[in-house]
Amino acid sequence: MKKILFIAFAAFFGTILSSFVNQDAAGDRLIGVWEPSNGRARVKVEKIGAKYYGKIVWLKEAVDPVTKQPKTDKNNPDPNLQNVPLKGYRMLKDFVYAGKDEWTEGTIYDPLNGSTYSCTIKMTDKNSLEIRGYIGVSALGRTDIWKRLEVKKK
Amino acid sequence: MKLLKLHKQAALAACFAFALTTSVKAQTDTATSPETTTEDEDFSMYDEVGFADKGAKRYCSPKIEGLSPAKLISIGFDFQGPYQLNLDTFNNNMNEGFPENGKTATTSGARFACNIPVISKTSLVWQMGANYWESGYNGMDKGPLAVGYVENPMLKSLYANGLRTMGINTTVFKPLNDKKFLLFQGSADMSGDYNWNLMPAKYMKYSAALIYGKRPSERKQWGVGLARTYRAGELNYIPIIFFNHTDAANKWGSEVLFPARAHVRRTINSRNMLFAGYELEGQSYRLYRDVDHRDKDLEIRRAEIRLRAVYEFSLKDFIWMSVQAGYRINYRYDVDRLTNGKEIYRAFGLLSDEPYVMTNTLTNPFYFNVSLNLVSP
Repeated sequence: MKKILFIAFAAFFGTILSSFVNQDAAGDRLIGVWEPSNGRARVKVEKIGAKYYGKIVWLKEAVDPVTKQPKTDKNNPDPNLQNVPLKGYRMLKDFVYAGKDEWTEGTIYDPLNGSTYSCTIKMTDKNSLEIRGYIGVSALGRTDIWKRLEVKKK
Repeated sequence: MKLLKLHKQAALAACFAFALTTSVKAQTDTATSPETTTEDEDFSMYDEVGFADKGAKRYCSPKIEGLSPAKLISIGFDFQGPYQLNLDTFNNNMNEGFPENGKTATTSGARFACNIPVISKTSLVWQMGANYWESGYNGMDKGPLAVGYVENPMLKSLYANGLRTMGINTTVFKPLNDKKFLLFQGSADMSGDYNWNLMPAKYMKYSAALIYGKRPSERKQWGVGLARTYRAGELNYIPIIFFNHTDAANKWGSEVLFPARAHVRRTINSRNMLFAGYELEGQSYRLYRDVDHRDKDLEIRRAEIRLRAVYEFSLKDFIWMSVQAGYRINYRYDVDRLTNGKEIYRAFGLLSDEPYVMTNTLTNPFYFNVSLNLVSP
């Protein structure tokens, strides 16, 4: 009897653990390097803890045409952050995998105007994301399509 | 005894799971705070990349850097200072009214517009919008010139009913590749002196524009096209030029859709912008309500050029305010009779020289306009 109880217990926790592992694996499909539709930047998505973050790793125009220095986040409303380099900047933050190919609860930052928007990410196929930034309610927003990139090893 | 041991193991596992969760949360919170990563990373490895999906294509974006933000919802108020109306009589058998010269009035009204993205994909952007503008005419004369003594039927109608425009519109941006695009705009407007009782849909006015354009860089886009428009008051088919650009320093730029509007932009920062330029505003307004038992075929061909300075700024986050002031120049305020709704197309006198049934002049006042706007991501 005790043996049966132990097996049932183990099977139950095994199933739960396995579903967490599968959930993790499904969520981790977001990890990689992506390009927004405007082609101005490339964003590397990483997992930190249980959440997903995306940082800018490449800029089409990396140098400020006026200062001739690497571009910084000069449109940030916080003056303390205006000298932070854009390369390495986390523009996607705090995404959690919600199942059904969707990542939610995150934000997206637009360095062109210094605004942060609520954001959801939907993977439409393994190489395409629908990134929807919105204000308050999802209807007041804009969707952009990002494509997965393959980094050629040097 | 063994069962007790099992319970102990389960409790230990639960404690471990809790500790792990707490640790992950703490790690995440730490990760949330810094805006940028500190670890050294060789960013040059991202110079050479290719799409994972070999069939993927790049398309040009509808926007360029530095443009003023698109308005999702706009609520505003427009006021034209005192000016004089010189209204003719109707010709032919409509000349029983008296002309009205030198009447002084102001014009004011609310303006509402919204523009919501329906499809926003890399390969297609489609927006739908709606707008409502009203123009109330407020007579300022006293004594025998006062509103109550007006004889001219059109002025009576303007004072009593004002003018309104209500419509829906759509915009489709179709990129052809990473440099070329097509832009289509269409609208259906109901303009006239109607009140809560709307006019029949047959009086709707349809406008459209199609532009073929190029976006050679992140800071420039231009295009040429053709428009069917009522901006000059009456129906016209005209060529149009589209040109937006921003300089390298993101301080100066231009936003042009000629001949509808053209502005020079001075960007103070990404949340404060100044503009100087003009807009041609106009519509054909049907005098539908039964003023003095007239027919319902008369339309005011109203068009005005607004020379203006505009200051747009972010009040808080996505709430922007727009304040504009300038000089309103009357371009046309004449009246046509569209028998059975049949449109007159003069093509600036090239195709028809049919006279207006009423020719009016307005003097030119200063005006201002303020609006609160929710701007798009």
